Amino acid sequence: MLKFIRRIIYSYKEYILLTLLSVISLTILSSNEKPQAKHLKTFALGNFALLNEAASSIVSFFRTDAFSEELRIENAKLMLEVNRLRKYRMENDELRSMIAFKDTCKYPLIPAKVVSKLVTKIQGNFIINKGFGEEIKKGMPVLNEKGLIGMIIDVTENYSVVRTLYNSNLNIAVTLQRTNTDGILSYDGNNLVIKDIPTTHDVQIGDRVETSDFSSLFPPSIPVGVVLKKESNVLGLLHSISIQPFADIGSISNLFILKVVPSKQIDQLEMNLLK
Amino acid sequence: MSNHFIKPILYFIPLAILQFTVIPLISISNIVPNLVFVLIAFYTLRYGQFFGTILGFILGFLFDLISGGLLGAFMFSFTLSAFLVGYFYNENKIEFNTTSFFFLLIVFICGSVNSFVYSAISNTNTNVGFFSLILEEGLLPGIYTALLGLPIVIIYFKKGMQ
Repeated sequence: MLKFIRRIIYSYKEYILLTLLSVISLTILSSNEKPQAKHLKTFALGNFALLNEAASSIVSFFRTDAFSEELRIENAKLMLEVNRLRKYRMENDELRSMIAFKDTCKYPLIPAKVVSKLVTKIQGNFIINKGFGEEIKKGMPVLNEKGLIGMIIDVTENYSVVRTLYNSNLNIAVTLQRTNTDGILSYDGNNLVIKDIPTTHDVQIGDRVETSDFSSLFPPSIPVGVVLKKESNVLGLLHSISIQPFADIGSISNLFILKVVPSKQIDQLEMNLLK
Repeated sequence: MSNHFIKPILYFIPLAILQFTVIPLISISNIVPNLVFVLIAFYTLRYGQFFGTILGFILGFLFDLISGGLLGAFMFSFTLSAFLVGYFYNENKIEFNTTSFFFLLIVFICGSVNSFVYSAISNTNTNVGFFSLILEEGLLPGIYTALLGLPIVIIYFKKGMQ
């Protein structure tokens, strides 16, 4: 009997191995949020990012960077300011005082560099060279002088992982600035889209899109992009709107973290939704 | 056999650094080749399916740890695709399989499967279409990965000529 089992195992050892390793992989995949897995990832990420940082500094040596850090910070602040002023023009002051608009410019900007990028078609992640040593926290928005890039999803002592807009697992509450139409922005593998906007809402190509007042993950009025095209569904009742982001996410090497600490309770609730 | 693991694991470190720092610079609308998969395919064709499956698992685990992505996603996709590469292993044709253009075909087929499996298990957005997954997350990265296998073929082909 034992001999028979041994012979079977020997004959099908590749299949047994594949099954075993696949089961282990899928088990690990399902336990991504467990503290042990997170500790292991944090440890590995922090150490390997050192090597990546050294390599990316060599790579960036060959790339021309015309802007100094101070200028880029100033640019990003001005971008937020301009967007805020644009909104002022469109809304009256009375309404503004009623909704208690939060001034996004009061939050400090922390400059950071991209150390490495995990580029896949639907899972855009960056690793940046700032961590909880710089008081970076999970959930903080990441942007550059043009607009929103993504948000921090993992933090180690000196490095953080940024989930970019080009990640199908990131959904953001946004609003069309001109008409105040709200929607959820997500990435479908090709475009950033806002789905299920009623066709009765006035949406035009070129309308600016920014983070919504309803989002407690992101402060309101961070520019996201412009409406590139709109398509109606079969019944013609709902629009699907494609958005062109302001920030050129693919070629970013310098960015900023907006040091926002949202309400802890809301933050925990929304971060749970992100898992 | 355990000695055979040392070399690919050592090669993995510089390749992973290149994958995260240089390869994003040559991405075409977020489609990138996978250098680590070329390494796995090469060693699987040298040492067989059993070896390749374990190597895919180990390198997938390391890749997941350092990429900041989902832990287990590359582990599963590399394991599965290395197992597939193993079907092309033939101990009498090792040189042919790893130094001819047949190597590129293997990398293309199995690299496409690797990219597709990775995208399928790491994606939670239902808006991503199945055919988009096959074409844009599977076949196109597969072609790009195969292109990156070209230097290996050329180097070994030249060596063979000498």
